[in-house]
Amino acid sequence: MSRRIALVEDDAAIRENVADTLRRQGYEVASYPDRPHALAALTSRLPDLAIVDIGLGADVDGGFTLVRELRAMSDQLPIIFLTARDSDFDLVAGLRLGADDYLTKNISMPHLLARIAALFRRIDVMRSPPKIEETMDRGPLRLDLKRMTASWRDQAVDLTLTEFWMVHALAKYPGHVKSRDSLMSDANLVIDDATITSHIKRIRKKFLAVDAAFDAIDTVYGMGYRWLAG
Amino acid sequence: MPEAPRARLSIRAKVVLVSAVLAAIPFVGYGYVREMENFLRTAQEQRVIATARAVATALHDRPRLLEFRADDDGARRRPGARAATQEIELILTGLRRASSRIFVIDQQRRLLAIAGSLRQELPAVPEPGGAWNWVQTNLLRPLWAQLLERPPEDFDDAIPEDLLSGGREVDAALSGVPASRWRPTPDGRAVVLGAAHPIWSGTEVIGAVVVEETTNSVLTLRNRVFEQLLTVTLVVFVLGAGTLLVFASRLSRRLRRLRDEAEQAIDARGRVRRAFRESGDGDEIGDLSRSFATAVDRLAEYNEYLERMADRLSHELRTPIAVVSSSLDNLRTRALPPDAGVYIARAEDGVRRLNAILTSMSEATRLEQTLRATERERFDLGRVVSGCVAGYTAAFPQHRFELRLPERRVELEGAPDLIAQLVDKLAENAMDFTAPGEPIEVAVDADATTARLSVSNIGALLPEAMADRLFESMVSVRSPAAKAQASGRAKSEPHLGLGLFIVRLIAEFHRGAVRARNRDDGRGVIVEVSFPLTATPI
Repeated sequence: MSRRIALVEDDAAIRENVADTLRRQGYEVASYPDRPHALAALTSRLPDLAIVDIGLGADVDGGFTLVRELRAMSDQLPIIFLTARDSDFDLVAGLRLGADDYLTKNISMPHLLARIAALFRRIDVMRSPPKIEETMDRGPLRLDLKRMTASWRDQAVDLTLTEFWMVHALAKYPGHVKSRDSLMSDANLVIDDATITSHIKRIRKKFLAVDAAFDAIDTVYGMGYRWLAG
Repeated sequence: MPEAPRARLSIRAKVVLVSAVLAAIPFVGYGYVREMENFLRTAQEQRVIATARAVATALHDRPRLLEFRADDDGARRRPGARAATQEIELILTGLRRASSRIFVIDQQRRLLAIAGSLRQELPAVPEPGGAWNWVQTNLLRPLWAQLLERPPEDFDDAIPEDLLSGGREVDAALSGVPASRWRPTPDGRAVVLGAAHPIWSGTEVIGAVVVEETTNSVLTLRNRVFEQLLTVTLVVFVLGAGTLLVFASRLSRRLRRLRDEAEQAIDARGRVRRAFRESGDGDEIGDLSRSFATAVDRLAEYNEYLERMADRLSHELRTPIAVVSSSLDNLRTRALPPDAGVYIARAEDGVRRLNAILTSMSEATRLEQTLRATERERFDLGRVVSGCVAGYTAAFPQHRFELRLPERRVELEGAPDLIAQLVDKLAENAMDFTAPGEPIEVAVDADATTARLSVSNIGALLPEAMADRLFESMVSVRSPAAKAQASGRAKSEPHLGLGLFIVRLIAEFHRGAVRARNRDDGRGVIVEVSFPLTATPI
């Protein structure tokens, strides 16, 4: 059974390009140019994944509204924002609405496909309890590589895919400094330094929420970040 | 900048100077008073002459009155003489005026009769009360007394001998011609107007009547008019100058406020610091203030437009670039002629570079957003800088970094990540203009109040005039040729001049200031960021 992806994007060229790419990978794609069309179609049948642009034509924040409505229908539906907007504000707003990932439009198609595949893999693993655990343990940190979930001192830390990949890249070789560039490629991201910084900040906050003494991510100024084994 | 005028007169001083025109009033008034005085003198003369004529007419053809006296020098002692003299004196008294003296002489210039006195008893006018009169009596009168000569009342009023023996009017009268003359009193303290008229008996002059009056009454009148004139002038001048002063002060205060407002609205780099508070006044200054406000608003809008332009442009370009890159990605999956790959690779490289440009274009705006949300923490500047430099040494082996750090900790309050970004930008900038192998000096030092971070390199110099503009958005002053020559790096990052703008934003976030100048040895450029230290380092 092929997976069904709903693509909501106002720019026809991008819509068709992304749709073609996805179809070539065997996904079934339904694309919509605006919010009313998408909502009408998606209400009757939810897709397996929704890829939503924030600005939909004249409807500047149409994507946010649409995702809020989709979230109201299902809290299981995976949602990815694919947008030209790269401000922190939009990123935080998007992730707060319950999107699973937030990608900017300058992502390459192979990167996009990798993320979609990873997202589906995570969902699959979550649905069926895995027979073999594939985990990576770094002291109190445990990363479940199949489910792409993280826990700290046996408490779950709710990371997005991007954040999981970044933590994974850092924790793989504790003590080694990861430059921002290599973090970016590990997380299949094309973003600037400032966004990496804010991602790291968000990750720290999430860990700090479960353990106020968390200080495993060390900033090495001018070079990058490293995971402190402890 | 226009050269400041050498002599600087404030508007207030100018208006007060203009009010000096009022000082012309007393001079004009003085002219009129002189005219009036002349007129009064003429009138007095006419009157005195008329009096003399009247007395003489009364004595005409009564030679006995005079003849009787003419016989003997001692005649006045005799009863008959007394009667005659009394009659003359009766006539004189009848014609006498308050301040005039009338006397009659015979041909031998002997004084026959005299009546009246030159002295004038001024009636004491009771001074009315009230503040204004107090001012008049106690302040103005003494002041005017200094300026105006008061006619004295204690002059020598004796009839001088030479008047009788050789006075011009007396001579004339005794020879039959009426005459008048102003003469000073013997002590010279007052002026006496004398008019003499012959007394006829038939065709023979038998004596003369002399009427004398001081000019004091005219002088008194003149003085009173002068006093009033001066008082009025003084009052008008004080009121006028006061009003003008108040008006001018208000005017210059408003203009000063306008100037301060205009100066504060725009900083040295032409950026709008805060909105212009426009005035609601309905006059020209109000208009000026409003048009300033409009100009500042427009400047602010324009500045904002410029600052946002990079961001908007990058945002607008992102979608078409996404179209191109996703199309290229799709194209790659198709069966293509073998030589197509190289073109796709070039197109992808172009798109990658476009993306890098867009990212750096929106970096400043994104940084401004980040700054608004950044929490401050205390950190050691030296540690951040040494970390950064260690990173560059590893990442850019072709460049030689030299680091100088202070012994003690230099604690700043702010965001270490941002400071690292600042050091990155300074280092990038230095590397862009430094030939491989030449040292790039990075130094941190601090005194009690200020921490300084400087990055200095050998390479192309700054044009002097541009030193301050370096830290504005999209200004790059060292020529790309100099840069390419120095760095030798092909396909380097696009140089949009945003790096140093970001340095400025971060420095200002830490309440610091940034300055670029050519090195003292003239071989390169030093960029120095100074931060105020909030507390003494631990």
